[in-house]
Amino acid sequence: MGSSNKKKKEKKKDFQKAKLKVGKAKAKAANFTDTSFKSKSIVVNQQTLATDGSDPIEQFKLNLSLAINAKSDNQRRDALAHITNQLSANPPNNPVGTSGILTKLLPILSDGSMSVRTQLLKLLRALPPAEVGPHVEKVLMYVRGGMTHLSIDIRTDTLSVLEWLLEVAGDQTVSCPGGWLKTLNSFGSMLGWSPSVGSAMGNKGWTSASKATLGTKRGPEAQARQIQVLAMFLQTGFKPEAPIPYNPMAYWDNIYRLPGTPNPFAYLNLFGAPRDEDSEMYPDRISRQRIFDVKWRAAISAGMESAKKEGGTIGRAAAALDRALGVGLG
Amino acid sequence: MVKRKVAALEKVEADLVNLQYKIRRDPRSYAQEFHDQWLAYDAQRQIFVSSPSTVSSEDTKKFHDLVDLVAHVADLYPELAAPYPDHLKELLNQHHATLDKELREKVVGSLVLLRRKDVIDSASLLTTLFPILIATPSKTLRSLLYTKIISDLRESNSKTTNHRLNRTIQTVLHNLVTSDRTSTKGMWATRITRELWRRQIWTDAKPCDVMKEACLSDNEKVVIGGVRFFLGGDKEREELEDESSDEDIDIKKVKHQGTINKKTKKRQKAYERAVDKIKKHDRKKNAPHPLNFSALHLIHDPQGFAEKLFQKHLQNTKNKFSLDNKLLILQLVTRLVGLHKLTIISLYSWFVRYLTPKQLSVTSFLASLAQATHDLVPPDVIEPLVVKIANEFVSEASAAEVCSAGINAIREVALRQPLCMTETLLQDLVLYQRSKDKGVVMAAKGLQSLYREVYPELLQKKYRGKQATIGLRSGAVKQRQFGEAEQGGIEGIELLEQYKEEQKKKKQEEQALENGDAERKEDDEEDDGFNSDEWEVASTDSESSSGWIDVSSDSDDDEPAKKKRRKEDDADEAPELVDTSTEAGAAEAELNRISKLATTSILTPADLAKLEELRREAKIDKALGRTSKRKKELIDKHIEDGLTADDIELPAQLGKKTTKEERVALAREGKPGREEHKSTQAIRRAKKDAEGKSTTNKEKARKKNFMMTIGKARAKNKRSLVETSKTMRAHIARSKSGGRRRNGV
Repeated sequence: MGSSNKKKKEKKKDFQKAKLKVGKAKAKAANFTDTSFKSKSIVVNQQTLATDGSDPIEQFKLNLSLAINAKSDNQRRDALAHITNQLSANPPNNPVGTSGILTKLLPILSDGSMSVRTQLLKLLRALPPAEVGPHVEKVLMYVRGGMTHLSIDIRTDTLSVLEWLLEVAGDQTVSCPGGWLKTLNSFGSMLGWSPSVGSAMGNKGWTSASKATLGTKRGPEAQARQIQVLAMFLQTGFKPEAPIPYNPMAYWDNIYRLPGTPNPFAYLNLFGAPRDEDSEMYPDRISRQRIFDVKWRAAISAGMESAKKEGGTIGRAAAALDRALGVGLG
Repeated sequence: MVKRKVAALEKVEADLVNLQYKIRRDPRSYAQEFHDQWLAYDAQRQIFVSSPSTVSSEDTKKFHDLVDLVAHVADLYPELAAPYPDHLKELLNQHHATLDKELREKVVGSLVLLRRKDVIDSASLLTTLFPILIATPSKTLRSLLYTKIISDLRESNSKTTNHRLNRTIQTVLHNLVTSDRTSTKGMWATRITRELWRRQIWTDAKPCDVMKEACLSDNEKVVIGGVRFFLGGDKEREELEDESSDEDIDIKKVKHQGTINKKTKKRQKAYERAVDKIKKHDRKKNAPHPLNFSALHLIHDPQGFAEKLFQKHLQNTKNKFSLDNKLLILQLVTRLVGLHKLTIISLYSWFVRYLTPKQLSVTSFLASLAQATHDLVPPDVIEPLVVKIANEFVSEASAAEVCSAGINAIREVALRQPLCMTETLLQDLVLYQRSKDKGVVMAAKGLQSLYREVYPELLQKKYRGKQATIGLRSGAVKQRQFGEAEQGGIEGIELLEQYKEEQKKKKQEEQALENGDAERKEDDEEDDGFNSDEWEVASTDSESSSGWIDVSSDSDDDEPAKKKRRKEDDADEAPELVDTSTEAGAAEAELNRISKLATTSILTPADLAKLEELRREAKIDKALGRTSKRKKELIDKHIEDGLTADDIELPAQLGKKTTKEERVALAREGKPGREEHKSTQAIRRAKKDAEGKSTTNKEKARKKNFMMTIGKARAKNKRSLVETSKTMRAHIARSKSGGRRRNGV
């Protein structure tokens, strides 16, 4: 009977009334939860109560970081749009400078979302052309990374960026270190005209390796556009240089004046890693023509011939390329 | 907005993995794709290299993925990806301090992957990783590199020993230790060497040389790493071997379970794995046991090493190592001295300072002193030390533990060099067997019994004992002079000799019988003359050659038999002669016989095996109590083995009675605590309750409210006889058919 007695007592205990005593605090309820806590620091969610937009510089920087870090596509696109607006205002409002914007935003050149990429292109077009020149080498690295990206959309959009680059700083684009031959390599690989792939596979027989098309359904429009941009690139590379007008002070300026361009002795490559043939800089038309002759002429003409035979948009683009080659080399 | 449908391959996130899969399946078709990604990798690499510190996290991630892809398929396109290993090496060498953690791990992993795919060789991988292991400040990277280096070395030595690679790495480690003696970088050399020694990958003299150099370094950590290796490395190796051979599987059990349990793929796999393991185990068991020397034996020039070690770390008063570490070094030095019988005279005078009871961990010093003693140490060098121990430790006034530790230490020293004792001192020490404390008594008796065997003249006549006195009189116990060495011989050769004699006798008797038979049957049939039974373990002397003649000839059967009989007679006469002569003469004859067997014949492998067997038998005989305790101890423990502080301290504890508290504490050790006195059942129940487990049916029945059971009990009593028998029958039927649930039907 022990257990039943015990249980009775326990049950009784549940319904006993707690006695209140004068001068003492009320006993805590059985289900009372202690919610007090100790913390070494306090985190405030909202930094300020004032409405945002008060400081345009902060606003700009906030949007810049949002454009890279925000998880949602729309947010990123909107942030980019905001920056574009600021840049195209009159006078342009740019607290971080062109170089700051480029270093921050170039990584999203191969962003997954189409809308972000188109907005980024708009933003780039809003940048002052003269200030892009010194950063061409860096932009080109990202462009080359994007040109052989797995996704065909990203490839196409990257071509538009290259187009923009050729427009605003054509000379620097083709003459910067790696700008000529490496970009040509990327074009070759993109179009499937690269001679190194076949030889690497030991493909010496009369059969050619079957072409797998992973993610790159080479639609006629896409390929035509690639050929078109290639033509433009070659045109810029083979453009005859304008003769520099005679300047009687040039000799003395060269000796005594500080150079006006950043890194004027880049061609000496004093501090960088030693360059190989691909990443060498080809500063003038003749050197570009020579290396093109050795490395790419045969492959590109062969590819061009087959593209011409396809006709349609591709054929037209190939004809334009042919014209550019004729003018440039002939 | 309606989402655009994206083909699986176009998804930007996941498709590098997909591409890798496709490339691996059909490398020729996807060469173009690989080339694209190779260019992308190259561009990304350049972005990275142009400003490694400021690169954004997105770029790092992209680069990480591309590095991963190229590493997995680089072996399929050797021409295109030729510069890839160099890229990785350069990246790691120049930027390992600033690289993102994950990327860094990926680069290291990719290099190891390339090694596994044989794109690069082990030497180039290790020479890349090793400098970084030493230079990097990051702990995670260090541990990663360490494991990778060890595993790569293991793998390249798994099939056959890769001598070339081992030599290169050992040279690198050697240079690392010797190039800068003050830095802690040598730690890595000691760690790697020790690990590989433990796994028996390196077993030759070169790693010992590396460790030797580590011991002579200036940095305390490196020195201790080296010293610990020599003191414990071999034991560790043995332990690892035991561990690996421990896990055995009962294949019968596994097989049986396979038949009674449900057949699943998992069980099938488990069975196969067990079979594989057993096969591997068997293969290992049948493989010849690798003959590995201990590190202490492989040292070049132990005399020079021990001297340098002693002068540099112990004798040098400017040395600021901690006492524990100094003790470790001392242990190594004395171990070397004892093992290789080295002579470092200054070592013994150095000890004097430390032989006082107040010295911290003095028993270790005492053990080291005993270790450093061997029979080639001049007695007059050790004598002052023994006297000092006796003066400092052994007196009626000192504590019993101290006293017994002192006597034990003296005994250990005297065991190795009996000449270190003077008559008066010994007689004084032996008298301590009248002490009240049991530990002291035992220590003193131990010393006495030691001297009864090695040098009884030194004891007083009444303490010599019967055997020693007889031995002294007959001249069997001879006192050895300093530097006198025991005459060399083969252990147990007399046993083999004896055995052979017996065998021969047996065979001769048999042959004599056979010959008798043959003579009888000679007329009926021809003897084929060749008898395979007559092959012996080894042919020793002319007697066996007479056996040869006997086998080949048919006609002169009787002559050799006669000869043999004659010889048998001789053998019968010989024992009588021995019995009549003096014991000394017998001992001499014994000696002659031994030398005869060892010098006149070549022992065959069969002989040696037999010798081993006989030796073992003899040892068992001895262990069964036909020899003194001390000798048994000596058999168990080789004199060359090291000595620890426990050997000095513990004998004093033997006679001690423990107090009740100590015994209770000993019993409680390793058992769960119990607060109050409770039955084991109650404790178990409480534990179950705490774990939230249910009660058994029995427990439930026991706890059931009495009032609830009372009705049923009453009803049972009121049943008629028929009803009772019916329920009982039902009960029997139910139990036969497997209970209420009809289990098993």
